[in-house]
Amino acid sequence: MSEIWELRRGEPGYPPALEELERPPERLWGLGERELVTELDPGRAVTIVGARRVGEHGRDLAESIASDLADAGLVVVSGMAYGCDSAAHEGALAAGGETIAVLAGGPDVVYPRSKRSLYRRILAGGGAVVSERPPGTPPERWAFPARNRIMAALSCLTLVVEARAASGTRITADEAIKLGREVAAVPGSVTSGLAELPNQLIRDGAALVRDAQDVLDLVLGVGVATVERAGPPLDEELAAVLAALDGGAASLDALALATGLSGESASVALARLELMGYVTTDELGTIARTSLRPPAEHNS
Amino acid sequence: MASASVRTFTLLGIEAREVVVEVDVTQGLPSFSVVGLPDAAVRESRERVRAAITNSGFTFPQQRITASLAPANLRKGGPGFDLAIAAALLACRHELDPSALAGVALAGELALDGTVRSVPGVLAMAERAAELGIEKIVVATESAPEAALPAHLNGGSAKDLRIVPVHRLADLRMLGMAAEPGYDFAAAPRPTLAATAGRDLADLRGQPALRRALELAAAGGHGLLILGPPGAGKSLAARCLPSLLPPLTDAEALEVLRIASACGRADASLASLQRPFRAPHHTVSTAGLIGGSTPPRPGEVTLAHRGVLFLDELGEFRRDALEGLRQPLEDGEVTITRAAYTVRFPSRFLLVAASNPCPCGRGPTHPECECPPGAVRRYQGRISGALADRIDLAVTVEQPAGEALSGEPGEPSVAVRARVIAARERAAERQGGIPNGELDAAALRRYVRLTRAGRQELARGYRALGLSGRGHDRVLRVARTIADLADSDLVDADHVAGALAMRRKGMR
Repeated sequence: MSEIWELRRGEPGYPPALEELERPPERLWGLGERELVTELDPGRAVTIVGARRVGEHGRDLAESIASDLADAGLVVVSGMAYGCDSAAHEGALAAGGETIAVLAGGPDVVYPRSKRSLYRRILAGGGAVVSERPPGTPPERWAFPARNRIMAALSCLTLVVEARAASGTRITADEAIKLGREVAAVPGSVTSGLAELPNQLIRDGAALVRDAQDVLDLVLGVGVATVERAGPPLDEELAAVLAALDGGAASLDALALATGLSGESASVALARLELMGYVTTDELGTIARTSLRPPAEHNS
Repeated sequence: MASASVRTFTLLGIEAREVVVEVDVTQGLPSFSVVGLPDAAVRESRERVRAAITNSGFTFPQQRITASLAPANLRKGGPGFDLAIAAALLACRHELDPSALAGVALAGELALDGTVRSVPGVLAMAERAAELGIEKIVVATESAPEAALPAHLNGGSAKDLRIVPVHRLADLRMLGMAAEPGYDFAAAPRPTLAATAGRDLADLRGQPALRRALELAAAGGHGLLILGPPGAGKSLAARCLPSLLPPLTDAEALEVLRIASACGRADASLASLQRPFRAPHHTVSTAGLIGGSTPPRPGEVTLAHRGVLFLDELGEFRRDALEGLRQPLEDGEVTITRAAYTVRFPSRFLLVAASNPCPCGRGPTHPECECPPGAVRRYQGRISGALADRIDLAVTVEQPAGEALSGEPGEPSVAVRARVIAARERAAERQGGIPNGELDAAALRRYVRLTRAGRQELARGYRALGLSGRGHDRVLRVARTIADLADSDLVDADHVAGALAMRRKGMR
């Protein structure tokens, strides 16, 4: 493992974004990719936070949004806690993107301890772990709210996925508001406890986001970047069938005619595309394209 | 001799049961009664018999006449006893030689002028007569070719049965004489089994997926559902299906003709025997579709035996009628049980159903469709339930584009049928005659061997498409047929994918 590095306030390398805090950390210790922190552009970073105890839905949401954002080149900042936080890191890692974990204890103290594997993968995957607490310091209770202000300061937008009204997530959102940074939230049912905070924030003026595309529009401006989900690679025949579908063919017959394939080959191709996730069919057999795009050609 | 008996048959369902007609003539006030649970048509037989006898140059006795139909506990219906009652009565009076009636069965209706008319079910009667070792069967002239069918198609004991065609009651005088008319098997042409039936697949232009679905349905005996708006060729497609099936074998032809004969429609089938194609209207009653009423009559499922049953506008059929399809689809026969007897009707048919996407027919994606979403779902839901396990294939069709319609005619039925026959032979050899469409879960495990890639493809389908256990089995059955068409022992990934594309979507 790489060595612990230290950034001092007032010296080169200290992230300017932290200076905007009311009480910026005097020193910042870190592990992993130092340049990721020293050259961090908050305009290309998003903090994703949420409850520790969330259902499959919250975790999936955090993970898929983080993954799409990382795919679009944004840095995902979070706190490595259970639930939404770690899901956000996992999503970024899965997309091969960059992610920063801000810890409440020293940068070499893995907390929660069961997240050791995630911690190692963040460091191995070109990410970084930072903390204002010296190496070896255990995470005391009071350190968590303080840690949250650093998470909010490192990015231009804090996204709240699922959380209760009174929670650590609330503190991160409040810090972002104090800094004048954008706050966004994914809405949920008004009767769901885990949607309390996001719904409240939206009522109070936070941006409503449904997916990563909404976040990208907020951070980079509308239309600057689109979430491109690349599916598995396609051979020539499948690519031709997909092109016919994009060209408006809506039935198996139309596909076969448009591509010149036999009924047999066209049906095999359609089933393959469905299995790969490129298309769906409903009970009436209506064929619809999903948002999945064919992967870009590598050697063109 | 004041009493005589002759043999005849009554039809129960599509089977003939032997009935012995005994006539007794005694002194007393002139009367004529028929006993032995006769229905109204049989009781009225007295008037026809009286007039026919008088008009044929015989004398009708002014005595007390009792005709008894044995067994006495079996209900008897229809006009088929006329000829036998008249013959027994004439034998009583020795106007006919009683010994000439020994070993003879008679079946015919009498016209008042003495003409002998044909009755339904002569084919089954001739079969039964041969089984019972009866030497001769006397039938109306026009029934003779029908009575000869078992001998043509089945041979065996049926060949020993002599068929005596008669025009008039008076012809019975020739029984046992050198001048006795006989039906000559050798001179009579055997029925032609038509090479093809229905519309030709060449007429189906510009719909490759639909053609493929028809080929799979024919090759594996899979139930097929065609979804699409009016004018998309659903009905034409269904009518092409009989032409894709292998020609009837002799045994199958006999089954089809036995049913037609029992319904009194054998003549029409004889000219050119084809696989039946039945398309009952959606207002059909349960009894009309499945069979029933008293006496039990075959329903559409039986009339479609060895052929195609086409249910157009499936969503409009009565729910109880569709529920009634369960037994015929599962067992290949209909059992109708009454207090006194049980009849069975064969019902092995290929099921093709067509449905509009929604009640208005335009489809939910059409701008003018105003059907509420619930209605669409309910409409489609009718297709599950009873039919769920027997419809393995679904294909969605659109109105073909103009240029496709004017294009080249498609591959003709004969070419497709050659592949179908080869695939069916493969399956029959492997599975002892059971078509792929009838394989149950245990048989699928036994006969469907997947390659590694095939297994993976199926597993992906199971995961990615949320297939149910039944859906899984349906895909396997179709994949087996695709492999058979490709002349392959193992079911590969392409075969599974082809089956997945034609699976029924959104069904449990």
